[in-house]
Amino acid sequence: MTGTGALARMQAAFASAVTDGDEAAVTAHLAGDPALARRRLAIYREAIGANRRGALRSAFPVVARLVGEAFFDEAARRLAAVAPPACADLNRYGDGFPAFLSTYPHAEAMRWLADVARLEWAWHEALSAADATGIDFAALAAVPAEEQPALRFSLHPSVRLVRSAWPVLAIWEANQPGRDGTPDRDEGADDVLAWREDGRVRMALLAPPDAAFVEAIGRGTPLEVAAGSEGWDFAPMLVRLAAHGLLAGFAGPQSAG
Amino acid sequence: MPARFPPRAPDPAKAGIGLRTPHFEALAARAPALSFLEVHSENYFAEGGPALAWLERFRADYAVSLHGVGLSLGSADPLDPRHLDRLAALAGRVEPALVSEHLCWSSIGGTHLGELLPLPYTEEALAHVCRRVTEVQERLRRTILVENVAAYVRFSSSTIPEGEFVAEVARRTGCGVLLDVNNAWVNAANHGTDPRAILDALDPACVGEIHLAGYEATPDGLVDTHGARVFPEVWALYEEALARLGQVPTLVEWDNDIPELDVLLEEAARADAILASAGARPRVAA
Repeated sequence: MTGTGALARMQAAFASAVTDGDEAAVTAHLAGDPALARRRLAIYREAIGANRRGALRSAFPVVARLVGEAFFDEAARRLAAVAPPACADLNRYGDGFPAFLSTYPHAEAMRWLADVARLEWAWHEALSAADATGIDFAALAAVPAEEQPALRFSLHPSVRLVRSAWPVLAIWEANQPGRDGTPDRDEGADDVLAWREDGRVRMALLAPPDAAFVEAIGRGTPLEVAAGSEGWDFAPMLVRLAAHGLLAGFAGPQSAG
Repeated sequence: MPARFPPRAPDPAKAGIGLRTPHFEALAARAPALSFLEVHSENYFAEGGPALAWLERFRADYAVSLHGVGLSLGSADPLDPRHLDRLAALAGRVEPALVSEHLCWSSIGGTHLGELLPLPYTEEALAHVCRRVTEVQERLRRTILVENVAAYVRFSSSTIPEGEFVAEVARRTGCGVLLDVNNAWVNAANHGTDPRAILDALDPACVGEIHLAGYEATPDGLVDTHGARVFPEVWALYEEALARLGQVPTLVEWDNDIPELDVLLEEAARADAILASAGARPRVAA
C-alpha cells in the first residue's frame, strides 16, 4: 500500500511523468525554470527506458538479434507499459517477456519467437539458480531393490526444460556470436534441457521420452510412474542426469515429504 | 553463525574500486593492493551461480562493501521485505565491512523505476527516511551508510538544505554517511548552489566512506554517468573534503563505458596520493 501524504502524491506524479510522459501533475512540485525542469525530467525518463531495455537485451540477446533494434526496443517499451518491473533487481525483469511475445501482433510472422524467448529465459534462470551438492550415491546404492520403484528424485535447482513445437535450439545456436544466423536445420520440435555445470549454462536436445521422464521426476513423480509402462528404458537418462550432477537428492517410500 | 572469512576492513589511507564483471579475470590474476572492493548488492541477489562464486573468491582477499541501488529508502511504499531478506542473506554470506544505500526513492505504487530519484527535503520526508533507515539497521543488525544522490530536479516543497537533511538522518538514526563528492559537485553545478555546503553541514565523525566518479556535461546540466575519469574540480573538492575529514575510505566508481582495469587503478592511485597527504582522522565513524 502506498502512503497518502505529500511525499506519496509527489512520487506518483513523478512516476507518471517519467514513465507515461504525463507531466501535468508533476510540474506543480518542481522548483526552478519550468522548461529546464522538464528537460531534466527527460534525463530520468530516458535513463529508466534505457535500463529496462538493457535488462531485457541482456536476458534475451538472441531475440534481440532476430528482430533487430527498433522492433526490440518497441516491444520492450510496450512490455514496460503493461508489466513494468515489480522488483528492484532488474536481473529478474523479463519473466513475462515470452508470454508477451506470444500474443504480440507484430511477431505473428515469427511464430517460434516466443519459444526462443522461453529458451533464453531458461538459460538466464539457470545461470543464477541456487547451488546444490550432488546426490549421495552411497546412500542411493543402499536402497533395497524392492523400494527403488518408489524413489522420488529432486533435480538440481538450475535444471529447466523447454518443450517447443519449433527447432528453437537450432535457432538459438545459429544466433550465437560468430554464427551467421542460419540454423543447421529448419525442422524439429525441440525438447531442450538447460542446466548449469561448472559455472556455465549448458543446453542439450532430449528425445521426447527422455524429456517426458525428466519433466515427471522434476515434479516429484515416483520413479516407476515417471518411467512409463511401454518398455522404455529410463536408466540411460537417469545416468545422464547423474553424470552432469543434476540429481540433487532422493527420497524413499519411508521418508514421506 | 561462525565467520567464513577473515575479518577485513577498508584501509582508510587507501582507495578501493567498484568490482565490475569485465574486470573479474584481470583482478583475480593481478591481485592489486586495494583498500576494498564495492559491489552493487542487487547484482548478487541470485541464489547461486558464478557471480556469487566470484564475489566470495574476492572476499577472501579483500574487504567488501555492499552498495545498494534498489532499496528505495525514500519511497512512500513500504520497504520490500523480499529485498531486505535478500540483502540480509547476502550480508550473511559475504560478511561485508560496509553496507550502504542511497538517500533517494526508486519505486512507487509497486513499480520499480530503477533510477536514484531525488527526495523533497521536507520534515515529512526526513521523518519517513529516518524510520526506514532504522528499520533497515534493525533488520541487518548493523549500521549502514547513506549516500547523497545526484539530482537533476528540485522540489518546490523543500525547506531543508540537502547537507542538513543528510546530516540530520545520520544524527537521528546513528547511521553513517557515504559522501559522494561527484554528486555534491553535480548538484551544485545543476542548481547553482555551493558544493562545500554539504561539507559544512556534516559531522566529520559520521562520514564512513567517500565516492568519486566521472559525470557527463550535457546542454541541460551535469549527469552522474559514472562513465568517465574524475574531473579536476571534483578532485579539488575531494582534497577540501579530506582536509576537513581526515582520511576516509574512498571508492572510485565506474559503471558505463567501463575501461580497462588499469584506468581504475590509476584513478585509485591518484586518490591514494591525496589520502596520503591528508591527516589521519581524529575520530573514526561507527
